[in-house]
Amino acid sequence: MTAVIETRDLTKTYGTVRALDGHSLSIPRGGVYGVLGPNGAGKSTLFRILLGLIKPTSGSASVMGGAVGDIAAGRRMGSMIETPRYPPYMTARQVLEWLSIAHGLKSDSQRIDRWIERVGLTEASNRRVRGFSVGMLQRLGVAAALITEPELIILDEPTSGMDPPGIQEMRALIRSLADTDGITVILASHQLLEVQRVCDRVAIMNRGKLVREGSVTELTATGERLRLSLTPMAQALSVLGDKGTIEGNAVLAAIPRAEAPALLRALIGQGIDIDEARWVGADLESVFMTETGSVQTPETIHAR
Amino acid sequence: MLADAIRSEAYRFGKNRMTVFWSLLFIPVLFAIGGVIYHLVTKARTAEMATKLNLPATMGQEPVNLAGDLMNGAGAAANGAILVFMLVAAATLYAGDYRWETWRLITARNSRINLVLGKLITFALLAVVAMALFMLAGIFFGVSQAIVFDRPLSFGFETGEPGKIGLLIGLSWVRIIQYAMVALLTAAVTRSLLATLFVPVVLGFAQTLIGGPGLPLLGWAPTDWAAQLTLPGLAFDTLKAAIMAEPAAPAAPEGLWLKAAVSLTLWTLVPLALALAWFQRQDLSKE
Repeated sequence: MTAVIETRDLTKTYGTVRALDGHSLSIPRGGVYGVLGPNGAGKSTLFRILLGLIKPTSGSASVMGGAVGDIAAGRRMGSMIETPRYPPYMTARQVLEWLSIAHGLKSDSQRIDRWIERVGLTEASNRRVRGFSVGMLQRLGVAAALITEPELIILDEPTSGMDPPGIQEMRALIRSLADTDGITVILASHQLLEVQRVCDRVAIMNRGKLVREGSVTELTATGERLRLSLTPMAQALSVLGDKGTIEGNAVLAAIPRAEAPALLRALIGQGIDIDEARWVGADLESVFMTETGSVQTPETIHAR
Repeated sequence: MLADAIRSEAYRFGKNRMTVFWSLLFIPVLFAIGGVIYHLVTKARTAEMATKLNLPATMGQEPVNLAGDLMNGAGAAANGAILVFMLVAAATLYAGDYRWETWRLITARNSRINLVLGKLITFALLAVVAMALFMLAGIFFGVSQAIVFDRPLSFGFETGEPGKIGLLIGLSWVRIIQYAMVALLTAAVTRSLLATLFVPVVLGFAQTLIGGPGLPLLGWAPTDWAAQLTLPGLAFDTLKAAIMAEPAAPAAPEGLWLKAAVSLTLWTLVPLALALAWFQRQDLSKE
């Protein structure tokens, strides 16, 4: 599969801070690719390097087969980094017209209308952007990223500031960009549930490094646990030891599938009543928390 | 591409009506309206004086030569006070992308050199438009004078005047561009629209002070290299005087024009080179 983005030992330092620390990643063409990480993980630095806004300290990066900064490659990419801003005196339509011109496209009102409609800004298209809410600016930012009909777009927090219906619309739009328009979408978001719903693959970054990469299915499958509705729970936990945790009215057992029959026999042997036992996948949030060291254990809670 | 950068800057500038008004239209409109008022007041005062002195109320009936008004308009565009208004356009073009955080929207698809040159060329074209408007205002001034005083119009150049007008227009244009280069460098270094507007104004004011009472204090003569190189406004005046000089006028000191030309060239190219070098290495994610 062709990679749309590749980084090799990419490092960026600001003084003594290593925002990116030997980052190597290959993002395949097609689908929606999530880039996750806590604040300071290096996501924005990575995007800024890919867009040519800053230069890496060392290492290399390529976009669409060309080195970063290659104009021909850059013309095949669109982006929205952080909350976009525009000249306040322009209307949404004028912003898209301006960017079309800046990117060497002929003025095409039909194309502008199409993208305005797809991001849900038709009614506000002739309003000046100075009166736009953050959510509307985000929508316009997505349209601006798409106005050149690129093969790849990078969206940094595209649902930031949006209300729930807006988030749902944006999710549907992102999915349709990948599925219908064939655009590779790279998405950074803190909303892990959204990422899990919309992304095909994700990369988890922490402290400037790539700590985990794979399809959402793969990542969540590795955290699969046996959910047991049983009584008494305290007795079950003593059987499970450090493999058991309580979630609501159930106990979660982090064991391989092969060990499940033996575990169930052991629990029944202890006189524990089991009402239900089923496998549940880990959500992306728990994978993220584990990989980034953000999991709260009794020790970390006491340490605060 | 450079053409895309120029077109996009021109498009964006054209949508900024406030800036278009203050940088291009305000002074010519003021000049035209002020001219009409000036002529009306002058006519009234003249009539009043004529009545008091028991003189005929009519002024001389010689034609109003619009060619002279055209030259005045061309020369006025590079006036220091008027340049301040042109700076509004320069500041908006050069520092707007920092203020509105829009560099990130355009940098991936064009080279930084093209983006800066696009702004520069757009400003250079706007300077031509501004000068054309000034010349139109000059003609309007003459026409209104002819109407108010009921005088005929004429349009005639003396020998050599068309060449002088051409040179004066070119020189005024260079002075506008030179002044705006300081704005370009300020924009790249400070990333501030206000600084881009005010630093050249303050610098220009300081240079005016040095060029006036400052020269004797510094022990400089206006013809010295130091004075010409430090004061681009003085260099402009030197070259303008040389262009407009009558054939019978005393010759300027030897090498003075060269000093003035070198000064204007350096004040144009050095800020440009510094701004380009700075911008090429700039972290544009911090806007």
